[in-house]
This record gives sequence, C-alpha cells and structure tokens, in this order.
Amino acid sequence: MQGRRLAVAMQGVAVLGAAALLGACATTPIDDEQGPATGPVTLTFQSLAFQEPSVAATKKIVDDWNAAHPDITVNLSQGSWDAVHDQLVTQFQGGTAPDVIHDESADIAGFARQGYLADLAPHIPAATRAAVPQGVWDAVTVDGKTVAAPTLLQTYVVFANTALLQQAGVALPTGPTLTWDALAAAAKQATTPSAKGLGWGLRQPTATVVGLGPNFDAKFFTGSGDTADVVIGDAELEVPRRIHQMAFTDGSLDPTSLTQSGTDVVKAFLGGRYAMIVAGSFIAQQIKEGAPPGFSWTVLPPLAGTSANQAANPQTLSVPADSPNVAQAAAFIDHYMQAQNLAAVAQGEWLIPTSAAARDAVTTATGGKDGWGATLAGADNLVTAPFQTVTKYPQWKDQIATPALQRYLANQIDLPTLRTQLADGWKQVAG
Amino acid sequence: MAFLPSQRAHLPRVAQGGSGVPGTSAAPLPVDLRRAIVAGPFPAGGWAIRRRGVASGLLGGTVTSSVETITGGRPDAPPPARRPRRRGDRDAWPLLLPALLPVALFSVYPLLQGLYLGFTDSRAGRNVVTSFTGLDNYAALLGNELFWSSFRIGLIWAFSVTVLQFVAGLGLAMLLDLDLRLRWLARTLALIPWAMPPVVIAIMWKLLLNPNYGMAGNVNWLGEFSTALPAVIVVGVWAGMPQTTITLLAGLQSIDASLHEAAAVDGAGTWRRFWHVTLPGLRPVAVAVTTLDFIWAFNSFGLVYVLTAGGPGGQTMLPMLFAYNEAFRYGNFGYAAAMGNVMVVLIVGFLLFYLRSQLRRQA
Repeated sequence: MQGRRLAVAMQGVAVLGAAALLGACATTPIDDEQGPATGPVTLTFQSLAFQEPSVAATKKIVDDWNAAHPDITVNLSQGSWDAVHDQLVTQFQGGTAPDVIHDESADIAGFARQGYLADLAPHIPAATRAAVPQGVWDAVTVDGKTVAAPTLLQTYVVFANTALLQQAGVALPTGPTLTWDALAAAAKQATTPSAKGLGWGLRQPTATVVGLGPNFDAKFFTGSGDTADVVIGDAELEVPRRIHQMAFTDGSLDPTSLTQSGTDVVKAFLGGRYAMIVAGSFIAQQIKEGAPPGFSWTVLPPLAGTSANQAANPQTLSVPADSPNVAQAAAFIDHYMQAQNLAAVAQGEWLIPTSAAARDAVTTATGGKDGWGATLAGADNLVTAPFQTVTKYPQWKDQIATPALQRYLANQIDLPTLRTQLADGWKQVAG
Repeated sequence: MAFLPSQRAHLPRVAQGGSGVPGTSAAPLPVDLRRAIVAGPFPAGGWAIRRRGVASGLLGGTVTSSVETITGGRPDAPPPARRPRRRGDRDAWPLLLPALLPVALFSVYPLLQGLYLGFTDSRAGRNVVTSFTGLDNYAALLGNELFWSSFRIGLIWAFSVTVLQFVAGLGLAMLLDLDLRLRWLARTLALIPWAMPPVVIAIMWKLLLNPNYGMAGNVNWLGEFSTALPAVIVVGVWAGMPQTTITLLAGLQSIDASLHEAAAVDGAGTWRRFWHVTLPGLRPVAVAVTTLDFIWAFNSFGLVYVLTAGGPGGQTMLPMLFAYNEAFRYGNFGYAAAMGNVMVVLIVGFLLFYLRSQLRRQA
C-alpha cells in the first residue's frame, strides 16, 4: 500500500515539476518560405518609445505613412525595453517577429549573427545614408551587412539641481566639458546632512560603465564576433573606481542609489535629496514631467576624462530576414528617418537624433532650452565601441560584469578582485 | 457516484445510529437509509453486485445488501483486505480518451519534447540544424559554477520558503480554527494573496521595500547583499501563505474533536495535545502541502524576476531565472533544457527521499 501511494505521489510530483520546468522550452522553428508579396501588404511595427510625447510622435509618423501609402498599411504595436530581447528570441524562433523591429545596436548584434536580420543596404537611399555619419553606420554593420537603420543616440549626462548647488556655493560649471575631478569636487562640496552631492542609479551598471568607458579610452574588448577577447586594464576600471571613490571614500555619492534604477533615483532627485544625478539624457523627460513647482534644474556639460568620448549605442530599426516584405518595411524605415520625423521622436524621447538635419530641427524647436544645448552637444563625442560587435557580450554582461560590478559598487570586493572576476568570467562565458 | 470511499464511510455511522439493535430486521429503517442506499453497498455484499453489471438488478441488489448491512445482516463477513481489481478499468478506456487526448497533446508531448531538447544542441538562429548531442550538455553543466551556485541559492530559497510557510501557515490555521469573532472575515482576508498574480505581488512589495518612499524604513532591503535573499524569501512566504493555511485548516478540521477531549481528560496540556494529537493528525496534509510548496517555491519565477531579476550581484539568482536567461536571453535552448532536466532529477530525488521517510513513519 505504502509503496503504491509513494509511486503515485512521485508520478504526480515528477509530472508537475517537469512540466513547469520544461514546458516553456519546447520550441519548433517555423520556416515560412514566402516569395516577395505583391499587391497591398500589411506591416507590423513594434515601437519601444515609451515617453508620452514620443509615443504620440511615433503614432503620427505611422498615421502619415498610412495616409500616403494606401497599399502598405503599417500597424503600430507597443513593446517595452525590458522585454524586447527575450520577446525577439521567441518571435524569431517562432517566425512571428514584427516586420519593423525597434531595438538598440548592442542588442541586435547577436540576432544579426544568427542570420535573423535582413541586409538593408540595398534599400536605403543614398540621401538617408549620407545624413548619418559613417561611424554610426559602423555600429549597425555586422559581417558587412547593414542590419539596421540607426535612429537615436543616448549619452550619459549630469543633471543638476541648481538651487542646491548654489546653496552649497558650487559655481555652475561652464566650458565645453566637465571633468570627473570637477564632478567629484562639486559633489563633495554639495554634500550636506540632508542631501548627497550625487545620486547615480546603477542597478544595471554594465551599460553605464561600458558606455562611459571611452572617457578614459577604455576598450573592454579586442577583436569582434566569436574571436573577441576581453581587455580589463586600468583604463577599463577607471569609471567604476571613480564612482566607488565618491561613494565610499568621499561620501559624496549615495551608495543606496547605486542599487536602484534610474527612475527611482530621479524621484529622490526631484525630492531634493541629491544635488546632481548622472543618468541617460532621456531622464530629462521624467524630470520635466515630475518636477515640483519652482524646481530649477539644468544639464551640465558632457563628462570628460582624458576625452569626452562615450560609446555610441544607437537605437535601431531592423527588418527580419524572413519578412516577406523587406522592401516595403525598409521604405517605411526611410520615412521614419526623415529629419522632421526623427526630430519629433528624438525630442519626445530626449535623445540625440543620428542625422545632423534632425538635430538642427530639434535645436530650432526647443531653442536649446531645458538642457537641450548640452545634450545635443554630446553627439560630437560618440565613438564606435568594440563591445557591440562581440557575440558573447550580452551573456558576459548579465552573468559576469553586472554581478561583479554590483559587488564592487556595494563595497563587497576590491578593485583587483573586480579585475580578476571580469577577466576570468569572460573565459568561463566564452570558453 | 456510488463508489466514492468518502460516502461509504457514512455507512457504519448510519448503521449504528439508525438500526438500534443490530441483527433485528424489524427495527425501523433510518431516515438516512436513502442516502445509505445511494451511497452504495458496504464491502461484503457490494462487490458481487457490481460485477454483475449495471443493468442486472442493481437497484434491487443494492437495496437488499444495504439493508442487510445496515440492519447488521451478515455481521461476521470479513471485509476484503484489498480491493479486487475491477474489470471496469479496461472498459473505461474509450470513455477516458477525450480527456486524455488534450493531456497527451498539451502536457505529455511538450514534456517529452522538452526532455529530448536537453540532449540536443538546439539554439537560436535562422535555419539552424539541431542535432542530438547525447550527454554533452550535462558534461558542460558539470563545470558550470554559476549554475551550481544558483542551484545552491535555489535550495536555500525553497527550503526557507517551505519551512517558514509551514510554520506561519500552521499558526494562522490554528488561529482561524478557533471560534473567534469575525472569523469569516479573517478567513477571507487570509485568502487574498492567492487572488493576486505573482507579478502584482512583486510590484507591490517592491514599493513597500523601496528605501526612499517605502514603508519598511530606510533600509535598502532588495539592494543590499545581506538582505536581498531574506527579503525575497519573506515575500515568497507571504505569497504562498493562503494555500498552505487553507490546506492546514482543512486538515485541522478533519481531526476528530473527541481525540482532543480524550487527551484532555487524560490530563494532557495544550502543548502535549498539540504535539501528540494535532501534529500526528495533520501529518498526511502536512506532507502533501510541504511537498507541493517546495516544488512551487523551487520553480517560482515571476516573483523574483520582478523583485530583483537575480541581483544584487547574483544573490537571488534562482536556478529558474538562470535557465530562463540561458534560453531566452542567450538562445541556448538545448543547454537550458538540460538545466531543467537536471533540476527535475535532483528535486525528484530529494522528494523521493522526503516522501519515503514521511510515509514510512506514517505507516
């Protein structure tokens, strides 16, 4: 009796457990071999624009297109940055990816290598190509194929609560750049019992550390694709070292903020708890929306170490290689890339458009106010970074770099240990 | 309908209460007789009738045998030690088929497919050919320190959640078992976490635990290395409380009050009665609920994914999150399925040990 009961129980347990564990992993690739479509077609465009004005701008771009092209209808759907990668993995596998994919270049390099993305080079008109600098095109070129059109660029900027800085007697920095030393000094001076000089939302620290790395000429990787190797030297560790120093030596950077998301830190910034925060330029929209009456803020000049360079990781629009309507989708992307359209989305998202014409349009529309002058000035400092073309970069980022940097920024390990973990972890991931 | 064991269990009581003097067929029939008849025959007489089939005199036969049973007829007939195997089992297959088909299609097939996937090099990529690789995935997994460290975290998480949930659930169940005022309200409130999706629970707790504007003080619960896992465990316990509490409450109510009375008469205090009456009476329920809680805790994903996504520094990287990332971030479906297989085998092995020892003690 007991034996049988046990057996029945175990069967139930095994089926339950196994089903829960594995059900989700069962996938069968679907291959649809459809020729180029003729006649009216319908495209789906998944946009990740999430701020209210840029959502509206995107909708207007789609509506304009649909009005002008009765035979190519674009359906707009809304995605989210948090989920886009996982979603695309399953959608590509299942053959259900949208015809126009919004993502960023560091994220799509892997998909491009897996052959999922169509080469857009033959479909992009020369004028559109010429409007964007070659360096930015390089960021979306994988194995000689142009796998996306680069749309918007993000830079990390320093937002300042001008009232708090003035109270602390810190002169607002002028000049073309703000050095890291000047940032540390200002943060120290602005630190009071009620407010820290600096808040920095580094819950996911890797993108920031790698993105700001070129400030000190950090490379992180040599080579590209599957043959890349990691490089962790003093240059690569300079950004985390300086953050750590402000947090744990100077006491001018709130260590709690280092474990939080950018959005959480913005709330504290608006509550007057930090004199300055470092964040992606898009945070300006949230400051603008959430600022209490009388809150005065500005964007300080671009951060600089040995240079003011930052890694260019443009947002992208791509087309799946399996889409039956690559040409039509590329035509819509070209429409999106037109200066007025790109400027409207960029302004809503507080990011830098990739084309100079669109940047001029943003300058005209905003008059350079609300920190737009300093934000757009960052465009000149964006350089191509090797990490974007490294196949295993996303895995190294998630499994190695993020936990190791989190440990270092929580003061759990020291700098030499961080170096070892970053370098040894690569061997484990790439091995 | 007629053969449910729980219904059969009514019969002896009916027989005792209704028939008065056993063996006297002239005794007045109990009001409950109809129920007793519907409930079916008591072992001795019943099996023969059932074998005779549904059409041939089921009613008459049943009534006769039931009355015999109730009125104490054939009191010496020994009850069969073991149910004889029913021929009906085989005949029932065609009737079960419509129910089994979806199970096979949507549960067994994906399960087997998933198991098989663990022995292939299936990965993301356009027109990628998947090939059988035998135990390669498992050899690679053996040297994957990150996976084993996440497995260790998973065990700490699952054990802590299960044990704390059991202790807290038992306390709450005993409280709700008392005849308190507004008990109906308290019992309803205890169910509420059950009605919330894990993602909503996680978002709610994230707000509560936020160091800037949360209600749990200025401590950075989910961000500190030392507090992240305990904080996540507390949320896990909270989320799983209802099913544990309700199951244990049902178990408590099934313990015969006369046992407590008898123990009290014998001079047993509250603690001794809890230890010697309540706990042994709860054992079957407790074993079932802790087993399920352990499996659920080990497999839970949404809660921790939203709360910490495995951070800070991998402190809350449960094996489920790890396997999810392997499949859906890096596109290594075969390797991720192998992780799933390993987890199933280890967890089943552990539960086998647990259930066997518990059932042996019970027997």
